[in-house]
Amino acid sequence: MGTAANQKQDKWVPTCCGQCYCMCGIKARVQDGIVTQVEGNPDAPTGRGSICVKGLAAPHLLYDPYRVNYPMKRTNPKKGLGEDPKFVRISWEEALDTITEKLKECQDRDPRGCFFQATTTQASEIRFGVIGFMRGFGTPNYWVSGGGLHCGNGAHFMNGIMHVSWSIIPDFAHCNYALNFGCSKGHGAGHTAVQNATQVADARYRGFKNVVFDPFQSAQASKAHEWVPIRVGTDGALALGLVNSLINEHGIYDAEYLSYKTNSPYLIKPDDGKYMRNPETNLPLVWDLVDNAPKVHNDPSVTRVQYEDQAHEVALEGRYTVGGVECTPAFELLKEHVKKYTPEYVEKITYVPAKTISRIAKEFGEAAEIGSTVTIQTDEGPRKIPRRPVATHFFRGAQGHTNSGWTCLSIDMVNHIVGAADTYGSALGLGGTVMDGYQDENGNKTTGKPYQIPYPCPDGLLTAKAWVYDHVPYPLREPKPPTRLDLHDMFPTSIYNAFTICSPKWFEMLERFEIPYRPDVMINFGSNSVMTMGNAETVTENFLKKFKFIFSFQLYVTEFEEAVADIILPDTCYLERFTPAVSFPSTFSHPQGEDDWGWTIRQPVVQPLYERRDFNQVMIDISERLGIHGKYFKGLNDTVPMRYGGPMEEKNKLIEDGSVVHTWPDVCDRLVRDRFGDEHDLEYFKKRGLITWPKRKEDVYWKWFNPSRVPVYFEYFIESGEKISKLWDHYGGKDFFDFDWSRFKALADWYPCPTHTEEDPEYDMHTFYWRSVIHCNSLTQQNPYLDECAQEDPDTYAVQMHKGTAAEKGISDGDYIWLENPEGHRVKGWVSLSEGIEPHHLAIAAVAGHWGKHLPVAEGKGVFFNDLVEMDLGHTDPLTFNQDICCRVKVYKAE
Amino acid sequence: MPQYGMVIDLKRCYGCYACVMACKVKNHTPPKIFWARLLKSEQGKFPNTVRQALPVLCMQCDEPSCMEVCPTGATIQLDNGIVIVDKDKCMGCKYCMMGCPYGARYSVDTWESYFPDGLPLSEYEEWAKKYWEEKFGVGVATKCDFCRDLLEEGKLPACVEACSANARTFGDLDDLDSEPSILIRKHRGEVLNPELGNKPKVYYLAPR
Repeated sequence: MGTAANQKQDKWVPTCCGQCYCMCGIKARVQDGIVTQVEGNPDAPTGRGSICVKGLAAPHLLYDPYRVNYPMKRTNPKKGLGEDPKFVRISWEEALDTITEKLKECQDRDPRGCFFQATTTQASEIRFGVIGFMRGFGTPNYWVSGGGLHCGNGAHFMNGIMHVSWSIIPDFAHCNYALNFGCSKGHGAGHTAVQNATQVADARYRGFKNVVFDPFQSAQASKAHEWVPIRVGTDGALALGLVNSLINEHGIYDAEYLSYKTNSPYLIKPDDGKYMRNPETNLPLVWDLVDNAPKVHNDPSVTRVQYEDQAHEVALEGRYTVGGVECTPAFELLKEHVKKYTPEYVEKITYVPAKTISRIAKEFGEAAEIGSTVTIQTDEGPRKIPRRPVATHFFRGAQGHTNSGWTCLSIDMVNHIVGAADTYGSALGLGGTVMDGYQDENGNKTTGKPYQIPYPCPDGLLTAKAWVYDHVPYPLREPKPPTRLDLHDMFPTSIYNAFTICSPKWFEMLERFEIPYRPDVMINFGSNSVMTMGNAETVTENFLKKFKFIFSFQLYVTEFEEAVADIILPDTCYLERFTPAVSFPSTFSHPQGEDDWGWTIRQPVVQPLYERRDFNQVMIDISERLGIHGKYFKGLNDTVPMRYGGPMEEKNKLIEDGSVVHTWPDVCDRLVRDRFGDEHDLEYFKKRGLITWPKRKEDVYWKWFNPSRVPVYFEYFIESGEKISKLWDHYGGKDFFDFDWSRFKALADWYPCPTHTEEDPEYDMHTFYWRSVIHCNSLTQQNPYLDECAQEDPDTYAVQMHKGTAAEKGISDGDYIWLENPEGHRVKGWVSLSEGIEPHHLAIAAVAGHWGKHLPVAEGKGVFFNDLVEMDLGHTDPLTFNQDICCRVKVYKAE
Repeated sequence: MPQYGMVIDLKRCYGCYACVMACKVKNHTPPKIFWARLLKSEQGKFPNTVRQALPVLCMQCDEPSCMEVCPTGATIQLDNGIVIVDKDKCMGCKYCMMGCPYGARYSVDTWESYFPDGLPLSEYEEWAKKYWEEKFGVGVATKCDFCRDLLEEGKLPACVEACSANARTFGDLDDLDSEPSILIRKHRGEVLNPELGNKPKVYYLAPR
């Protein structure tokens, strides 16, 4: 450090943050060769000049003396929690030689035995090194730390179906009334964290009302217009209560929206619950009330693409006879179905008073101002669109339960009932669902990319043109005989699961399901799965220890490496590496709303320190050693269209025949030139950090410009469930797990979690984890600036407990307690007494409680909540395989 | 000469700690030194509880107690109202730390690493230590100076710049048309503990 050449140097380098998945544009200051400071980049639509506490704390991540700086190998062959791995430094050459040898052996046995594990924090990097290698090597097996199983199998799936987006966020700039189901959106964490916070702060001054349902008076509940304490895991019941109250109590619903933008008018057969179809075209039918006749759903007389289009009224209610069969519009079935969710019934489940449910439904319905419109400027001139300044939103808190899928859908359903989806003021899909290509300063669309406009499937339902991964949320894949280690191929409504691979009967299952290979080599990119998936012992013993060889790209020696890694490779952090696309795929991380499009990259602010090397370059090197680099590059060429909006031009494609080994910067250069033209090469991006172009209003509020409908009735789940259960039974899956196939159905319901059905009175408390703004996932705990900040905060490292409850139990502020679940797993933490928590609950922040010897800042801080998370099917949503992240515990004082 | 002051809008603030961190990283303050802090409080009974975050920093008082008690004249009020410490005159007696009713003064006796176990300082810490020693000093009183170096460059204090909720407004309180002056009038801004008579120049707007 500090050579003569860089003395007195002081420059700001534009790049992109990587402390979480928000991907905010930043500028990093380099003084005398040292990165000393980071600020938000005002030019970047992602962040717009602000970044959060985590992003600001960057220098300590880059220079932490506990970072891994050299390759290391395990010299203690014993693996498991508590083992001292006895890592010793080795050369890169030795590390790569060993890795190549192990991968070759795996290739010879069966390449599918290779399993890729990665972290959500570095989501932008995963899309190259992980995907390219999996395709090149020929393995379908992966999972992503925490992501999916904790925070996405339900939410991303349902948001994908309803919005072609990873998440939903209110159009805070124009929304007047939001129902927040226990999430941090608009309050400093979660997707698009900082500009949502700016918009919400502005919104408070124009009377924006925010009602927060949360067992804990979190940051967002503290700022709320109204905090409504709710029993954990019951958000879905509350949402269905609101739907019932809106439709059946207050008679508030947006008939125009439901008629032309959803499948509400589709006629449903009484016998099997499926669509009544036109016998010739096989298209679903609706009932035209003007012609008094059935029409196919896309008949011009019954469709309205734009708001001002004219169409016949269609039936939402009643009975209509088609071909001698008396059919019912889907909406009528929904209306009847939700009647059981009376305010009184829902109060019993949720602890939310019946009167409050009824009142809030009315307030929400009235604030929606159904019938109101606004005129926006589009490329085709002014257009009138519905204005619906209300939204419900949610994330991990509401969806981390065994009712995940239907809960996510139910919460969003409240929006769709009043037409508040992807229009002005309403719930918007995160980022950019609709985008028709880059525009230069003169308004010319030079490359036609990135292009992503969803389209209707033959049944009329919204279908993704671009998505975060290949497995689009709709249409569902056909369930197939399994080939993956988690039997995933059979389950089209999930992305991966834990209940198979973490089961003590995993290998028996593989046998039964005729999987001809076994876990072999695990490649880990940045994940600490010992801590981030669930109970550490279960994950380690049942799953991780089943691999013959594990190598890990990592910033630190985490608990994962201590327990099971054979070789650690010193990775670069986000300030030392190139990443060619960070704010894209836009449905994952681009801000919603009217601000410009922005494509950001990461670049090395300083050259990698010590012997750290960039994950993506090393994966290319490994592929070259294995002779699979041609297939690796083909894999990347093939994945670009879905993720980054359109195929690569031939001249920019990576060479697939193996004659060229592209460097990682070359891969980056080709992608950005392909999207934005040759003049916008990597050098261009290095100077600016990003490229921006204006967003069309009709792309922000795309609902009434797109011919697709969204389902309120999930007809296709019925058939999918039938097929999966048939396949499951074919293999005798019943011997392992008793599946609740009834979840595969057309209409939403709420189902209790184990925490709601626990009968032993000793286990009298609900517990759950929440998101502290100071930390993201498990890595930031080692940052001493953030740790210091978290110690200032009264909540982040504590167990929040209600004062009255504590008094009954003889527990005082600051006492250490054990929280023990019915399965006998327990965690320890100190108590912070509060009145800001529902008395039956204990709240715990973040993935904390590290014990790793190589993470001395993080060690012993906070509570390791995930140790209470069981990995079996009973704690899994049978529809989406999301894990249950709430549980019942007994508490007692620790010595 | 402007009289610099700040308005912190508690209706906008959501307690995210970005101001705390921006201050730390801009000034490279050593462990446990928080020129900008967030004080969190809770009042009321469930479910009618109010949980509030209150960002605090040096109030840059017009009549600073810290200056009154300083025996060496090391604490100075600049013409623009900013209260600073002349590290060369400070003898580290800590009277000012006792004298400040807002707890806004800190001293660093020895520079310690942020990392446990007695490792050598990291590259960043080496750089930060040098920066701190040259600018603020060890063994002397230190405090927020409204980032006066940034003001000289025509920029805003780091905590103001970092606030994603735009809860902080900075400017000349003598100028009735400045943004903070307008906000104070419009929303009846108040200072903390006015009864002490220090005449702070950091104003707060009500949370609701």
